[in-house]
Amino acid sequence: MKSIGQRKTNKLEIVLFILPCLILVGVIFYTPFILSMFYSLTQWNGIAKEPVFIGLRNFIRLFTGDSGFVSSIIFTSKYAFFYIISSNVIALALAVLLVKKLLTANILRAVFFVPYIMSMIIVGFIWRFIFSQGFNSLSAITGWGIFDMSWLGDPGLAFVSVVMVAVWQSLGFYMVIYIAGLQALPEDVLEAAVVDGASAPRKFFSITLPLLGPSITTCLFLSLTNSIKVFDIILALTAGGPGGSTYSVTYDIYREAFQNNNYGYGAAKSLVLFIIVAGITVIIMKGFRSREVEL
Amino acid sequence: MKKNTLPGRIVPEILLSAFGLLFMYPVILMVINSIKPFREVVMDVIALPGKIEYQNYLYVIKYINYPRLFLNNFLITALGIGGIVLFSSMAGYMLSRHKNGFTKFAYLFCIVPMLIPFQTIMITLLKVSKTLGLSESIPGLGIQYWGFGIPMAVFIYSGFVGTIPREIDESALIDGASTVGTFFKIIFPLLRSITATVIALDVMWIWNDFLLPLLMVNGSVKTKTLTLAAYTFVGQYNTQWHYTMTAMVLAVFPSILFFIFMQKYIIKGVVSGAVKG
Repeated sequence: MKSIGQRKTNKLEIVLFILPCLILVGVIFYTPFILSMFYSLTQWNGIAKEPVFIGLRNFIRLFTGDSGFVSSIIFTSKYAFFYIISSNVIALALAVLLVKKLLTANILRAVFFVPYIMSMIIVGFIWRFIFSQGFNSLSAITGWGIFDMSWLGDPGLAFVSVVMVAVWQSLGFYMVIYIAGLQALPEDVLEAAVVDGASAPRKFFSITLPLLGPSITTCLFLSLTNSIKVFDIILALTAGGPGGSTYSVTYDIYREAFQNNNYGYGAAKSLVLFIIVAGITVIIMKGFRSREVEL
Repeated sequence: MKKNTLPGRIVPEILLSAFGLLFMYPVILMVINSIKPFREVVMDVIALPGKIEYQNYLYVIKYINYPRLFLNNFLITALGIGGIVLFSSMAGYMLSRHKNGFTKFAYLFCIVPMLIPFQTIMITLLKVSKTLGLSESIPGLGIQYWGFGIPMAVFIYSGFVGTIPREIDESALIDGASTVGTFFKIIFPLLRSITATVIALDVMWIWNDFLLPLLMVNGSVKTKTLTLAAYTFVGQYNTQWHYTMTAMVLAVFPSILFFIFMQKYIIKGVVSGAVKG
């Protein structure tokens, strides 16, 4: 029975609570997204009043006559591959070592996490300083050849530098996720393995690693989507150089739109980026679901 | 069973500490060289400063108008977070408590943008923001962060509201409390641990964000953010490393301070954000 004075949340209230989010997301995401779809079909330099409709010509040019875009896709794929592997392997190794009861474990966890709280632009500049000035001094002291190499001036080495700095910056992020995963592992299973006489490597590869599956998938997924969108570090570290060898897809879009003023063409490129990111995400999410059903 | 011998414990400890020190070395070098005169930086980056050069800091703080930039960053971050927390918690609450066609659609509408990379919409967002008067202004930047922060925050909040027993707000409503009152007086306080998580994650993101301010703000110190100012400063003082490293330290310092005080929440935020995201 309804008592007097009872109130129930009515439909209008539900809508009003949700409405601010709908409006904000609509203005910030959906409106520009729809506009991007429109501008991708035009030629527009941002100065002319009216964009000129040119159909699918931007997209045709993208895949047939734009070596810059294709090479930025190749760079980004290569970068993603090496970044994902190195950041995850090192982060997992550190996590395994730092869940042990070490005196310095807490301090070291903080140490490895610190670069992640710094802006990537700043991180890029710090490393530019290290590569150009720091390595000079280190070379003078040690006489080692690796400090004499042109880490930002040679295309191959610049690639290595970009990956290394990106890993340095974000290592702590993945490490923290792996540590949480390791701490959630069932103690009894691990102890049973020790009792049964499993060696440490055997225990790690046969028990810890499979049980860590969810954390690994999460980190692989996050490192993948982050690496596809790499931008700030490259801007600060190499600015695309040397000789345009480190242009990522996002950097290429940025340059097309805001440096070359080809807004229409840039919008077409940005939609290709969306399709890549959304496609990968949807495929991986589906993978997650089908596996959950199996379990 | 476990090897608790002294060398077995100390060797990994020492090796890891050494690696940690090496890992931090770039940060250490940044700080060392920010307190050296230019001559010493050029001569030897590794060496400790002969005497501490405060002049670098006085010069850069004055030149970039650090207090003003700090205030800008603070206002943008505070406004951005305030809106994200308020709007997302309200929506998350209703989306979790009332399941129907409308809320299902609204939920997807709110979280699907997590799939859209910023760079996909940045070109046309600039146009939208200019039309709405959101570019070139501190409140405008804060409001844009509302939009960018909502998808993740709605996702986290609506998941968390599900763990709060329905009886709590239902009994308040039966006692005659208004929906708004129930939410702000009863539900919102119960959300505080997840609110702390959202705040920790979003502070790090908004405080350090670079590309949005780069696109929206043109030059004027009234609307510049700290990272953006550091970026343009390096552009002007390209090889004057003693000044650029000082600017880097000044830009990074607040983040480090925030991390030291909020470490627990940041780590928790990263973990819960990652696992749920």
